[in-house]
Amino acid sequence: MSIDAAEFMQASVRTATPLALAAYGELVVERAGVINLGLEGAMIAGAFGALVGASAGGIGAGFAMAVVAGCAATLLMAWVVLWLRADAVIAGTAVTLLALGLTGTLYRALYGAQGAALSVPTLAPVAVPGLHQLPWIGPAFFEQPLATYALYAMACGLWWWLPRTHAGLALRATGERPDAALAAGISPVTVRAWALLFGGAMGGLAGGVLVLAQVGTFAEGMSAGRGFIAIAIVVLGRWSPVGVALAALLFGSASQLQYVFQSLGWPVPYQLFLALPYVLTLLVLAGTQRRAAAPASLGAPLDTAP
Amino acid sequence: MLFLRRLLAPLLVFNISVGIFGACASPKDAGKSAAAAFSVALLTPGSISDQSWNGGAYDGLLRIRDSLGADISHIQTKTPAEFEENFRQYGAKGYSLVFGHGFEFQDAAARVGPSFPNTVYVTTGGTRTSANVSAMSFAFEQPSFLAGVVAASVSQSGIIGCIGGTELPPVKAGFASFAQGVHFVNPNAKVVTAYIGNWDDAGAGKEQALAQVARGVDVIYQNADAAGLGIFQAAKDSKRVYVIGSNSNQNGVAPNVTLGSVVIDLPAAFMSMAREVKSGQFTPRVHVLDTRSGVMKWIVNPALRSAIPTRALQVVDSLEQHMRAGTFTPPAATGTR
Repeated sequence: MSIDAAEFMQASVRTATPLALAAYGELVVERAGVINLGLEGAMIAGAFGALVGASAGGIGAGFAMAVVAGCAATLLMAWVVLWLRADAVIAGTAVTLLALGLTGTLYRALYGAQGAALSVPTLAPVAVPGLHQLPWIGPAFFEQPLATYALYAMACGLWWWLPRTHAGLALRATGERPDAALAAGISPVTVRAWALLFGGAMGGLAGGVLVLAQVGTFAEGMSAGRGFIAIAIVVLGRWSPVGVALAALLFGSASQLQYVFQSLGWPVPYQLFLALPYVLTLLVLAGTQRRAAAPASLGAPLDTAP
Repeated sequence: MLFLRRLLAPLLVFNISVGIFGACASPKDAGKSAAAAFSVALLTPGSISDQSWNGGAYDGLLRIRDSLGADISHIQTKTPAEFEENFRQYGAKGYSLVFGHGFEFQDAAARVGPSFPNTVYVTTGGTRTSANVSAMSFAFEQPSFLAGVVAASVSQSGIIGCIGGTELPPVKAGFASFAQGVHFVNPNAKVVTAYIGNWDDAGAGKEQALAQVARGVDVIYQNADAAGLGIFQAAKDSKRVYVIGSNSNQNGVAPNVTLGSVVIDLPAAFMSMAREVKSGQFTPRVHVLDTRSGVMKWIVNPALRSAIPTRALQVVDSLEQHMRAGTFTPPAATGTR
């Protein structure tokens, strides 16, 4: 009954992967000044898209469909928020509820009223030669499914892109001072639309990873709040790519710790263990410095932005 | 008619989209008048695609439609406020019989019952009854004990896991009886119990199962509905790990890793209740449904029968006969349900 540290770390990274993917999508959306509560909807849409795609054409088709489904869910959000100027919080909630209901409906329409408990092929972990032999972190970070390596590339790409490119500057300007961005010849609506599309693609990809690199099956509502956790991870990570990586890893490890504690069979009420990831998150949030890091125009509709 | 009725139900997008599909799935109900006919509704706490607790109830509802010609309606609910609201909606529409599928519906049924005396409310769990409210109480402990005997006989490590959705009293009682079945065979075996915290998160189900497997668990008794589908996946990914299913016959979900299922014959239970209401013989009471009534069953997966020692199968058969005859009751069954 011992706990293998390397195995624990590996499982933590596995748990953190879909959270981090969705959180990077949300990071870009929030740096453009929009809060996307439809992320949970994009995720469940992605999970369902992955099931449909993978059943029809294998893992690659599964991931493609996951991204398409996540984008589709978020396009609705973009249209309502950016062109119809609806409140983003209400629109995002509606998109999430719609996606949860619609995926359930389509699942039953396609696979019979009571579903089928389908098994889809999953990505096996691939060890990176050399790196996976590093003590402790080797198996944790370098013996993962390909999707996790795509996440590393994405994280590095964002870390470089946000502060160092013109497009990254346009994104940040839109989130801080959309009026100034407009004066500089940047269209805040266009920037926010692209940001939302990216956020939807990442949310869909996160749902796809959940199905195709973790669980291997689909269940209605299986996103189970991960989209909202990803939004919290962006806040915990102070809207920075490095912070988001650390926050996702913290949440992944806390979740794994919860599973391990329960499996040890201690006579402690299980609710305490279930609360662990959230308690840890609160403690970290309370313990970190309170420098205002949120984009200045976060959540402000464009016509009333400062 | 059915379509409109569903749209008038709580204006939650989730309910509506599920409802629209439900209406599409049963076109032969269209055009019938609900008021005159025998009409039966079902509220489930989770998705009917869970291959378990909720799917079995939906099977029961379909059988009531097909055998008794009832108009049927189903809504998926999540919160106690929704339980009560939907009980009221169906009462106001003059439904003959409304099932609240689970222990957690009993408070809502007790509150709503007096307002709609012409509607019978039945909760599948709990002990509360009143003039038009009955409860069905499933003796989950009986087949769970048998499952424990099988689990202990198959386990090599002597460490056996239980994974539930949330700690509802019937789930807890089933696990307690399962553990007694385990210790009946192997007093030194260790049983670890974990709860996922919800009934949908198949990812958490799989991770919890993998965490147990890493501690040496090699047989897992699961009662987590849709989240449990992840537990079957974990067993498939691991070597020599078996699962025991629950609520519905889950032997087909993952035939290569499922030893058997603790089955509630929900369609039979629902049918007997519907017949009682339709014939006007309804009397409020707690229906205790057990192995004697044939509603509770332990069903071995034929594909894995060879993995279970013959001696264990004989013990299980003999215990089952004693349970049916009333000469053996698992000790945990004496607790409250």
